[in-house]
Amino acid sequence: MPESSEATITLAGDLHARPAGALCVAAAKFDATVRLSVGASEADARSVLAVMQLGASRGQEVTVSAAGPDAEAAVAAVIGILAEATSAGE
Amino acid sequence: MAAKVGIVLVSHSAALAEGAAELAGQIGGGAVTIVTAGGTDDGRIGTSAAKVQRAVQAADGGAGIVILPDLGSSVLTVRALLAGPDELPAHVVMADAPFVEGAVAAAVAAAGDGDLDAVLEAAQEARHARKL
Repeated sequence: MPESSEATITLAGDLHARPAGALCVAAAKFDATVRLSVGASEADARSVLAVMQLGASRGQEVTVSAAGPDAEAAVAAVIGILAEATSAGE
Repeated sequence: MAAKVGIVLVSHSAALAEGAAELAGQIGGGAVTIVTAGGTDDGRIGTSAAKVQRAVQAADGGAGIVILPDLGSSVLTVRALLAGPDELPAHVVMADAPFVEGAVAAAVAAAGDGDLDAVLEAAQEARHARKL
């Protein structure tokens, strides 16, 4: 039974290359398909280049949505990385 | 933990290969084996089949290897090795991808435990990545 989950975070800093990589590595460990959206742009969370292409910056809202058996855990993991990475001022 | 796909960066310039490996390794979180084959055997700009062979050996963790060449004779050198009977192991593939973007995408895919096909695909999808 596929589940879905979604959460939104306001970035405390810009989403740089290193946290984008960490986010993709984390997202890949789940069975769920994870997507990020910022405004009208969307990216597959497994594609680091697509995530960087979002150009997500400080103050923007990022919505993380997932579909699959472990969707909830996947969203929590990705939100956690976004919160930590963008607040550390990287 | 399962073995990760190894990555070999082949460039005319040792410095370029090293720099791309450093960047891709950082973005991939340092969990992936990235080996470089840059420049000629005597340190000039160019490519070396022997360096590529040594790099492939060093990157071989058993899960396969994706080679990213920069351009021109790097591609030809790798292609010649792949076409030979036993110059390279069987589970080695060359990615048709931009060098920096492909290396970064491949490193992240390998760090996320992607298999050889997934890492190759991630590298090749970099052809479509736009900057703006």
